[in-house]
Amino acid sequence: MLLVLFLVLIVLPFILSGYWIRLITMVFMFAVIAKSIDLMMGYLGYVPFGNVVFFGLGAYSAGIGMSHGLPFIVAMLLGILVSAVVCILFGTPVLRLRGHYFAVASIGLNGALMAIALNATGLTGGAMGIIFPVISLPPDMINKVFYFSMMLLMLLAIGINVLIIRSRIGFAIRSIKSNEDAARSLGVNTTFYKTATWVISASLTSIAGAVYGYWMSYISTVDVFNVMVSVTSILMVLLGGVGTILGPILGAGIFQVLSEVIWSQFLELHSGILGVITILVILFLPRGVLTGLREMFQARALSRKAVKTNE
Amino acid sequence: MLFEIVLNGLLLGGLYTLMGTGFSLQWGISGIINLAYGGMMVLGGYIAFALHRFINLQPIISTIPAAIVLFFFGLLVYNYLLRPTIKKGSFFVTVIMTFAVELVIENFMLLVWASDYRIITSPYSSIGFDIAGFHLPLIKALIFGLSMLCVFLVYWFMNKTKTGKSIQASALNPAGARFIGINVEKMYMYNFGIGCAIAAVAGALASNINAFSVVLTGGLLGKVFVITVLGGLGNIWGAALGGITLGLVESIGTITVGPEYNEAVGLIVMVIVLVFRPRGLIGKKFWDV
Repeated sequence: MLLVLFLVLIVLPFILSGYWIRLITMVFMFAVIAKSIDLMMGYLGYVPFGNVVFFGLGAYSAGIGMSHGLPFIVAMLLGILVSAVVCILFGTPVLRLRGHYFAVASIGLNGALMAIALNATGLTGGAMGIIFPVISLPPDMINKVFYFSMMLLMLLAIGINVLIIRSRIGFAIRSIKSNEDAARSLGVNTTFYKTATWVISASLTSIAGAVYGYWMSYISTVDVFNVMVSVTSILMVLLGGVGTILGPILGAGIFQVLSEVIWSQFLELHSGILGVITILVILFLPRGVLTGLREMFQARALSRKAVKTNE
Repeated sequence: MLFEIVLNGLLLGGLYTLMGTGFSLQWGISGIINLAYGGMMVLGGYIAFALHRFINLQPIISTIPAAIVLFFFGLLVYNYLLRPTIKKGSFFVTVIMTFAVELVIENFMLLVWASDYRIITSPYSSIGFDIAGFHLPLIKALIFGLSMLCVFLVYWFMNKTKTGKSIQASALNPAGARFIGINVEKMYMYNFGIGCAIAAVAGALASNINAFSVVLTGGLLGKVFVITVLGGLGNIWGAALGGITLGLVESIGTITVGPEYNEAVGLIVMVIVLVFRPRGLIGKKFWDV
């Protein structure tokens, strides 16, 4: 089933038009951001509302690096390094706290770094933004290149997710989620594991930011430090299913397509309709599409079993 | 010069204290990080603006209907959207819920009033007086005084009335409060409504001295975050300390590095405080944070 889907995704860019390729690339990108948010939210139980800061840091580091002549890969690694440093410096004190403060602190961090990027005109171009070097490929080819890069990144995010939940760090963070005090009393170094998870989450987000910047070839602060990006990603996680491997990806797909439809049909009511949809999802589908479907199947299987035993 | 900076900072700090009080109550007592707070402030401003413009109500008096509207709006939001969410999910789902409310409010305001900047021009906006060679507009002093009055009223309500005491009890020990017959859910609801009403009052008062628009909601929310986190959660003294600190910081920032850095300076100060004193300057472990 998944293999078929994978093959379909490989074939798709060769049949679809540029518009659809870009839309699906966007879905992949949000899937990566949502996946890295779910790592914090679904497995660790901390909600990084300001995770978009790493998207911005990744994009800006790549942009600044490339405008100084670095190749893309090096500039991207630079972005990861910057994000990891910010994570460790800021996460170590703040992640000692429980969820509420962390949520607000991460939004504050995003706002502060955004304001710095906006005002440090010498380095970042300020409100003018950054222009990336032009890619000398036909536009059709560019679409495909970024389609496959984002897809690769999404697969990487899924792979890292699977590896983490099977490894020691996965057990540690899940124990923190279910009872942090108990985990600490059993000798789990909670602050270390929390920061480490945040670094992984931040690195993935920052790569997504770097690729996005190169793809769009122009970035500005209001664009890549926009809290809306993390909030919609959190919504995607909720929509798909918190703490599941494929849930955030499903959520990203549903949300992005829905948003596109609303955007084209009701431009003036766009944000209002998104708000109403969010309210409906939270009230009626609180644990996401994937979990909801799974529970439905399980219930059906159980009732079938119950019928059998009654006979 | 120094006198001017301090006076400006204090005047600004009064309004900021009021802004922070509402948010801090909602966060510290009802346990809700209200991302719609900025939107509610601007909505309060618009209601006051519309009443002033169309039925020619005094701008100061038109804050009262704005507060009443937002109070009932808050009750509805809490009762029909937040309460079911709290029952089902963890706390961050309620945060997303408030964000959804913010999207709806913003869209509504955009449709009705568009995104132009507006300001309430009160009949006495040109009156002012001079103290020690510094011109102080009457309206600024008036707004400061009214903000302080509102903060005092909230303080009095929370500490001297039965409902206020019940609200505090519900936050400190829900099980114990329930045991002595307090309807805890209802208290959280009232508290949320009061928070929304304070947002409306702060927004309506601010619209007398600053131009406002739908596009400002995010920036206002950022300021409220800074005020609350600087001071510490759950009590009015924290909000006052945070508000006055932010007022002074912005007032110093405006003179030294320029007003365009205001937002950055506030947020950077907040991040620094969080790194060294994660619970705020006088924060205590009030709510489970």
